[in-house]
Amino acid sequence: MLPTSCPSCHAHLKVRSLKCEQCETEVNGFYDLPVLARLSDEDQQFILSFVKNSGSLKDMAAELKFSYPTVRNMLNEIILTIEKYEK
Amino acid sequence: MKNKLNLRYIYNPFEKIAGWQALLYGLVFVALSGWIGKHAGLLFDGAIDAHLGKDVTYYQSFMELVIDVVCAGVVMYLAGLFVTKSFRFIDMLGTMTLARAPYILLSLVGLFVSVPETAELLANPYQIFTNPGFLVFIILTFPVLVWIIALMYNAWKVSTGAKGPKMIVGFIAGLFVAEVISKILISILI
Repeated sequence: MLPTSCPSCHAHLKVRSLKCEQCETEVNGFYDLPVLARLSDEDQQFILSFVKNSGSLKDMAAELKFSYPTVRNMLNEIILTIEKYEK
Repeated sequence: MKNKLNLRYIYNPFEKIAGWQALLYGLVFVALSGWIGKHAGLLFDGAIDAHLGKDVTYYQSFMELVIDVVCAGVVMYLAGLFVTKSFRFIDMLGTMTLARAPYILLSLVGLFVSVPETAELLANPYQIFTNPGFLVFIILTFPVLVWIIALMYNAWKVSTGAKGPKMIVGFIAGLFVAEVISKILISILI
């Protein structure tokens, strides 16, 4: 999994360099990670599943074997985290 | 780990069951509690009340339960609207109804209880120690009530998805109002 926070001080990590596997070109800079990439693995899996289920919380609840309000609360938690990261 | 998980579902099954499913299971428990309660002389005379009485009729038993279920569901839903807007009525009604399931234990124990006359009990309070059924009922009432309130709290928490002090205050206020309204309706209608 892509590391997103500093193992020493827990601050958000930034992208220093990107490299082309084909021609070995390297792009250096100081880029922010996309908000979605900063989410935990679990939250990212939830979002993927949410999209695959066409945004249906009912289908998500059936897939995850949780009740509808529990799944809705999980989504609300992710929304709060995204809003926090966007600030 | 598995036992730990199962234990959690004893006081919070709503992570798994809510909505229509919870309402259906809840109504089965409520109907059984009412039917057994009628034979046990147990009255559900308030949203979170249960008392032993005498000569309980089916009408009395079931009407009280209908008032309790509707009051708890509707009042807690309205209280929830003060805390958050994005939740479903069916989740609140279903989970609140299922939260009443442990009352069936009091109904069952009530079958083996012979209720002493109040005057006799006041004259000789120690007679409860010679009435094991009544003693077990009294001892069981407290943990069952705590269990039901814990279930109702989790029903409210899962259904509204609210957090923090607002959620706790909303729950306490809602339950208090539900209890008062159900008591008033029972005294008027039954």
